Parts: sequence; C-alpha cells; structure tokens
Amino acid sequence: MAQNITAPLSGKVISLDIKVGKKVEEDDEALVIEALKMENPVYAPCNGTVKEIKVAVGDLVEEDQVLAVIE
Amino acid sequence: MRPYFEKMAAFGHELKKGELKRAEDNVRQFKDAETALEQEGEKVKQVGLSAEQVNSRGQLTVWQRLEYLVDPGTWIPLHTLFNPEDNEEGTTNVVDGLGKISGRWAVIIGFDNKVMAGAWLPGQADNVLRITNLSKRLNIPLVWLVNCSGVKLTEQEKFYPNRRGSGATFYRHAELEQLGIPILAGIYGTNPAGGGYQSISPTILFAHKDCNIAVGGAGIVSGMAPKGGFDAAAAEDIIDKAKHFKAEPPGTVKIHYDETGFFRYVYEEEQGVLDGLKSFMEGIPAYHPKFFRVAEPAPPRFSAEDLYRLLPLEQKRVYDFDEVLSRLVDNSEHMEFRPGYGPEVYTGLVKIDGFLVGCIGNRQGYLGKGYPEYADYQAMGGKLYRQGLIKMNEFVTLCGRDRVPIVWFQDTTGIDVGDLAEKAELLGLGQSLIYSIQQTDVPMLLVVLRKGTAAAHYVMGGPTANRHNAFTLGTAATEIYVMHGETAAVATYSRRLVKEKEAGRPLEPVIESMNKLADEYRENSRPLFCARTGMVDEIVSMTGLRGYLAAFAGAVYQNPTSICPQHQMFLPRVIKG
Repeated sequence: MAQNITAPLSGKVISLDIKVGKKVEEDDEALVIEALKMENPVYAPCNGTVKEIKVAVGDLVEEDQVLAVIE
Repeated sequence: MRPYFEKMAAFGHELKKGELKRAEDNVRQFKDAETALEQEGEKVKQVGLSAEQVNSRGQLTVWQRLEYLVDPGTWIPLHTLFNPEDNEEGTTNVVDGLGKISGRWAVIIGFDNKVMAGAWLPGQADNVLRITNLSKRLNIPLVWLVNCSGVKLTEQEKFYPNRRGSGATFYRHAELEQLGIPILAGIYGTNPAGGGYQSISPTILFAHKDCNIAVGGAGIVSGMAPKGGFDAAAAEDIIDKAKHFKAEPPGTVKIHYDETGFFRYVYEEEQGVLDGLKSFMEGIPAYHPKFFRVAEPAPPRFSAEDLYRLLPLEQKRVYDFDEVLSRLVDNSEHMEFRPGYGPEVYTGLVKIDGFLVGCIGNRQGYLGKGYPEYADYQAMGGKLYRQGLIKMNEFVTLCGRDRVPIVWFQDTTGIDVGDLAEKAELLGLGQSLIYSIQQTDVPMLLVVLRKGTAAAHYVMGGPTANRHNAFTLGTAATEIYVMHGETAAVATYSRRLVKEKEAGRPLEPVIESMNKLADEYRENSRPLFCARTGMVDEIVSMTGLRGYLAAFAGAVYQNPTSICPQHQMFLPRVIKG
C-alpha cells in the first residue's frame, strides 16, 4: 500500500535524502524543509521503497503538499 | 496530596531504531565538544604550583582540602572557566561550587593556594559576588577555605576599588549574617590585608596553627612611611625588617587565639580545620528531605545518554523539548500546565529527587495552523508569542504562590516582532513576566540548552533575574547573543551598503566588515566564551545536568524561608481542573 510523505509546514526544501527505487525505513530522514530559519526534518512514515518524489531541492512547498510516495 | 504527586502522567518515548541511527553523528560531535570544554576545565585545575610542591611545604592544595571536606559524590562545581578579565594566570583564583558537608548543602569557595598563595586577582570579586548571592538565594551556609595573600599589587586598579570591587565581599558577608545565614571559614597560610578581612568577616573562624591574619602583612609593615624614594640604606633597612616579619608575621595564632580570641578554634593538622567545619555543618539548620518530598526519588525511565541524540548541536535543527525533559525528571513523569495553550512553551510540574519543581522550556518546530491567533503567518517554536507569554506569567505566579522553585530551559530566538505582535501586546507581556518573576521570590535555575537570544533571554528567568536566578548553566550547544551575527551585520551595515552602492563605490569593504562582525558574534557566543565571561555559571555535560538539578532542588528545600503546605497548593488543582 502506498503512503504519502506530506509537508508538515510551508517552506523551502533544502535537502533530499531519498531516491526513487531506494528502500527507506520508518523514521529515516526523507527531506528537510527550511522555514523561519529553522530546519524541519521530515521522516519516512513507514518501511518501503520510494516510488515517486514530487519535489526538488529549492522548491517552495505548502503545508500538507505531497512530497513523495512510498510503497 | 499523594494522588497528585506520587504517580504523575508518564511522558517521553523510547527512541526508535531510525531515531537512534540518524543521531549518531550528533552524539559524536556533541561529546567531542564536551571533551574539549572539559580539557579547558582541567587546565584551570592545573594552574600554578603542582600538588607535590604545595605538599612538600606541609600544606594541602585547595583541591585536596575540598576532597576531604565535601561528602563524596556531591561536589557540583561552578565558575570553573570563569575568567572575565582574561587573567594571565588563567583563573580568578577561587574555586567554588555547591556541595554537601556532613549531609547538608552548602555553597563552598576556596582560594587556589597554588597560584600566588591565593591572591586577589581581577574578576575574582565578581566570582565571589555570584557565590554570596547564591548562598542568599538558597538560604544555605557559605563555607570558605581562606588562604589569601591579598591583592596582586601590579593589577590592583582592576579590582581593589569600585562598587563591586573585592571589598564588596565583606559587606556581602555582613549581609548574609544579617539574614541569619552563617559563614564558616577554615583559615590557612598568610592572610594579610584583604586576606585578613577575608578571614575576619565570616561568622566562625577555624584556624590552622600556622596561619596568620592581619590588617597589614609583613610586606606592608616593612614598607610603611614613604620617604620619597629608595636608596641603598633604605634597601638594607627593608631587608632587615622583611627577615624579621617573615619569621614573626603579624596576626599569628599567638595573637588571634591567645590574645584577641578571634579564632574560635585552632588545629594542629590541616585536616583538623576541615574536621572542625564538618562538625559545625552537622549543626546547621536543615529539614529532613521527607518534610518537603512529594514522592520517593526515582531516576528517569529513559537513559540520560538519549540527551545526546535528542538535542541537535546544529542550531537550526528542531527537536522535541518534552523528550529532553523526560530524560531529566523523576520517573519521566509530569503534570503539564495548560497543554495546548501557548504551544511554543512547555510549563509543568515535575519531581526532581522527590522534590516538586516547576519547569518551563521553549518547544521547537512548527506550531501548526492558526497559531499565533493574531497573525496569518507561520509560527515556530523557540520564538515567543502572546499565549506563551501569558501562560508563563500564570505559571510563574502560581509557582510563587505555592513556593515551588522553577527550572527554566532556554532555546529561544526571541519574542515575535512586527506591528501585529505589538498590537498583541508582546512588549508589555514580556515585561509582565519579569514583574511576575520578581513577585515570586522563589529560587530559579536556568539551563541555556542552546540559544539564549534577545529579550527572551532576559524574561525567561535569565541571569538578569538577579534576585531569583540562583545560577545559569550552559551546554556544549549553548549560544548567547542579542541576535544572530548575520542579523546583526545586516542591521549594522544595510544603510552603508545602500550609500556605497548609490555613490558607485565598491561594496567589498563593507561585505568584509559584515563577515567579520558575523564571525565575531560566532566566537563571542560559544560555550567557552559564555563560561569565561560569566554569561553562564558553568558548562555542564548532558549526562551531568540532572545532578545539578538535584543539587538545586535539595539546596532549595534544605531550609526554605517560606513554605506552602502541600495540601494547600493551588497549582496542582488548576492543572487537574
């Protein structure tokens, strides 16, 4: 079953630590969103393989936006 | 009140595999930073003569005296790196901290007799002021190990005179005595002039047989009556007098035990003096801890090692403050005050070594949609908003009413700014918090976990809460500054940049100045700088933090000047609703 990684807050993606096709474990750091000068890590919600990444480093994202999909 | 306190709500969670894995680098970097700071502390301990040299004169070093005097495992050092005037000796020449003697907490301070026979040095008066304040705030005795050769004459202008100069100590001693707080002094070696007053100003004097205390020592007595210069005959005269006073200095035991009786006791052995202090400490007023404990002491349910995983050394990284706190308090239990309101701040009651303590700390990370309620921008923990300021005001006030000491944990970027924040009364609410703190009259401890910034560093029980802040601790991640260095560089140079641009001049020199300022801010806010200048009273390892909290709680509840019966406390009822 696919699970989305969503943005917990609005901000700028400053790093991506996942790759399409690669395995991730629950609580691995998937990416980091910078907002108000603070770095907010976003973690994988489950074990699985990264199916799709919908953002790139430098993108501005909105709260609740889907950032990646894990299967 | 057993149903309230014996078992509170559990908080914190066991770290998961992923959390442990991604924290590995942080653990290593944090411990490396702590090791570097510990090495600095070790250097200070080693300054001056070696222990062998001091021992060969039949004396113990200040460290050996402390080891004999203080109950094993209870020494809580303070001001280890404090050296605000950057003395070439590398120390202010006093060693101090909290410790138990004969099972009772005391503030303990001694002259480092390895350095210039325990001379007064620049910065020392400020150090002593801090510890006399501490004794007053905690209402516990002050114990001195006096061994003081007096003023370092070549630098006297830096500390002999002035409002907070070295003589302030003697008035402070008088003030403590006025308040009913005893000062016990073990006296060793030669203590002329300033050293004489260091010796005479305490409450009870325990003398070693070879000590002397005097208005003026051998040096000054041989050089009195200036003649307008020196010649060979004058030099011969000085030599004769110096020899005489070395053999027979003013103010020996013969005078001050046999004649004046200033010395209450005289001891043959160095340890005898310390035994005397120990026996008097047995008679110091101290409640049995059961009088105030609300539960049996218990360690946190989670390892203190987790703290290295939970607190990121990287300042921009967010983390969960509640998890940090759960590693510091008894049984990882708490009673949170107004959860959900003012989400940027944690407020709650916890137990430390079985004693009730109020805790306040900055939470980190995104605070969710719709907050702050007065603006449509995102809010981030570390900053203070209207609700958080109101909540702290309420909590502090209730702690004061219930006589509960407070531990603050700062990691703050400041108070929200802009016209919306002004309309939301943040300026007024910040000052209200200062007023609320002032009204409590309960001892407070501050831990600057990471950032102490802007006015938030003041209002959140900062060292500026002079009458309340007992002491301030830093960690290897601490940074204290009015604002981030780059923010300061912009504030300082933005208009200059515009001017240079409009005049068609190159911007590079301004840019260079901006980078220089940002670099200076970085250096002058780091833990070592904070400890040297006294912005914090000690840098503590993450695993050492709980020991300081327990010492604080134990000392606060040893002999409080005011008490609230547990069953008449209001704050727990407000929390329960």
